[in-house]
Amino acid sequence: MRKLIARVRNRWSDSDVRTDGGEVSAERSLLRRDSIRSAPFWLPPFLLVGLFVYGAVLWNFVLSLTDFQGLGAPDYSSLDFENYVIAFNGGTPTWSELTVDPVWNSLQNTIILMVVFAVVCLVLGLLLAILVDRNIRFEDTFRTIYLLPMSLSFVVTAKFWLYMYNPQTGLINAAIGLVGIGPVEIVQNPDLKLGAVAFALIWQFSGYAMIVYLAALRGIPTSHFEAARVDGASTVRMYWRVIIPQLRTATVSALVVITVFALKAFDFLFSMYGGYQPGPSADILATRMVREAYANQNWAYGSTIAVILFVMALFIVTPYIYTQYTRGEL
Amino acid sequence: MADNDTPLSRRTVLKSTAVAGAAGLAGCTGGGNGSGSDAIELLHAWSSGDGNAAIEALVGGFREEHPDIEFGEDPVNGAARSNLDQVVSNRLQANDPPSTFQTWPGQTLTKFGDAYADIEGDVWTDDLKNNYLAGPKEQAQLDGTYVTVPLNIHRINNLFYNTSVLEEADVDPESLSTPADVVDACEAVSQNTDAVPFAHQTSGSWSTTQLWETILLAEGGIDGYNAFIEGDGDVDQVRSALENVVELSEYYPSDASSISFTEANTMVMEGDAAFIHQGDWAAGAYSGNDEFNYGEDWGQITYPGTSGNYLLNMDSFPYFDNNPSAEATKTFLSYCGTAEAQVLFNKEKGSIPPREDADVSELNTFQQDQYEDFTSSDNQPPSIEHGLAVSPNIKTNISDAFSGFLEENDPDATADALISAFQ
Repeated sequence: MRKLIARVRNRWSDSDVRTDGGEVSAERSLLRRDSIRSAPFWLPPFLLVGLFVYGAVLWNFVLSLTDFQGLGAPDYSSLDFENYVIAFNGGTPTWSELTVDPVWNSLQNTIILMVVFAVVCLVLGLLLAILVDRNIRFEDTFRTIYLLPMSLSFVVTAKFWLYMYNPQTGLINAAIGLVGIGPVEIVQNPDLKLGAVAFALIWQFSGYAMIVYLAALRGIPTSHFEAARVDGASTVRMYWRVIIPQLRTATVSALVVITVFALKAFDFLFSMYGGYQPGPSADILATRMVREAYANQNWAYGSTIAVILFVMALFIVTPYIYTQYTRGEL
Repeated sequence: MADNDTPLSRRTVLKSTAVAGAAGLAGCTGGGNGSGSDAIELLHAWSSGDGNAAIEALVGGFREEHPDIEFGEDPVNGAARSNLDQVVSNRLQANDPPSTFQTWPGQTLTKFGDAYADIEGDVWTDDLKNNYLAGPKEQAQLDGTYVTVPLNIHRINNLFYNTSVLEEADVDPESLSTPADVVDACEAVSQNTDAVPFAHQTSGSWSTTQLWETILLAEGGIDGYNAFIEGDGDVDQVRSALENVVELSEYYPSDASSISFTEANTMVMEGDAAFIHQGDWAAGAYSGNDEFNYGEDWGQITYPGTSGNYLLNMDSFPYFDNNPSAEATKTFLSYCGTAEAQVLFNKEKGSIPPREDADVSELNTFQQDQYEDFTSSDNQPPSIEHGLAVSPNIKTNISDAFSGFLEENDPDATADALISAFQ
């Protein structure tokens, strides 16, 4: 032991200060490594994040394998995938006397909401960004107007859209009334419900996509625009062939943030429908999860739904992180 | 960066990291077991309006009578009702129950079932047993054991109306005797006046669930209703009640899905609507309006077809095992069981005392009429929507069924879903 300490101390004191950035020889590197020497900076947050974020994710997964229900403590001695079978097939689990519905309906709604919301948001954000980027007057004002809805909380926008969708006094029905349609029931209409929610979310978040794209557009050298012009490209062609391909990173990073917002649309539905029961055609995994966990105290089953939601988020985030990694940006 | 010119020494960095870490940990571990040993800790969600006035009156009355018993520093712990259960659930998981909290009695008690303790004898003395009516007494028990003290009763099977609108429509509310009569009366209102016949909100499912349960009580009678809540309902009765709701829905405001209960209720107050079916908290809003008086401008009838029944919605204070202030809590619960305390509370809350020997002369005329209906009622069935009749899991299934009903208005599918809610 003493020998070991002596050796370590020896290394510590003997090592050279290398200012040329060259590598320290392997046998001397242990304590001189950058990663070790910077440990006081990264280690505490690393441990805290590891414990409270990844530890919690892992614990949630373990919980989903138990039969934890009601009060008391979960029993970790018998772990199985029963809850996942129930989640996809339905049936009566061993921990309940009641049958439990599978999650297909809310899973489907979640995916539709996510795809529609993300795609429309990005397209709209890109169009707005291109318009704002074309040296228009009052550019700052427009930028602020488009971004402003994002600063509102879901609770405010949900109540606001409840007014907007009102068949008697709402602006949406007044607008479609001008072309001779309506008034149309929107909020409790099974065909329009999810679309109405997506529309409100798009209104709120397309400004965010715009800002991300605008920043990326500003980063493209003017010479690219000029070269395309000199070569005789039309405006549409210029954007389609020259500019938009350069916005890949911006697209991916905006997409990640926006889909994560879609997964969290819970707050919006909760405020709009006065609880976590938005009805079968607008039920998403998040509302289902809260219902199972907090209304029914089916903690393990709620955890199972949370894991499914987590895996969905991973599907979105992993390719992003991987491309960042392969491009050396991480 | 060259090592020699580091502006911070390694030691400084380590020290500050340690301090920051310690501060963070202190933040995590702080709080907890601060309060004194015997102070009563009452958790409730009555943080504003009439509920807040009512709980303050109750606690004030208790302090006057028992000045030696302390309430926790802040007896008024505000939280939304749905969050309150969550707070209590977390406390119970941590084996740190509060003294008592605001909860629905009846089947809602099954949620924290094992955490409650028997208070028969200590709190539920013969005095209480003799003076509570059968319905509320049953709701105070969990599997035959007295664990909670009901404090007030709101009634669900009411039909409120605006007198002048009904006069204009030439409808006599007292002549209505079945749910179908209500539909006919709505038709008369829509023919003869500009008012909305039946004020209702459909953005959330709760108003429709309680409307349906009232109509089920009317159509199936007390036996049909009891059979349903025991999981043995008759699908035809359930469907027929739903069909009646669909007929009524023709007379809802056209923007029912975008308004709240408060807005629907205001329509009645302003003469824009004829009827509203609600719990008697709706009357609380009327009594706050000097221009809108009971008997003259508005009236209430027992929902047609449900006479003799007082459909219960109650709040209660249960007793937790492992109680942090055992004796004081029992004293407080015993106080809540007295007629005097219940009058203090219900005077502000707009509901009525569950005891039949209360002196209600201090309550308003409407409450006195309701109290008379209550004490002379044959049955006091528990409400489904308000958590007395079915356990929380089944209630979630029922609410799921109604959130689908609001979308599709399909009595057949909903009736099946309601029957299978118990399976």
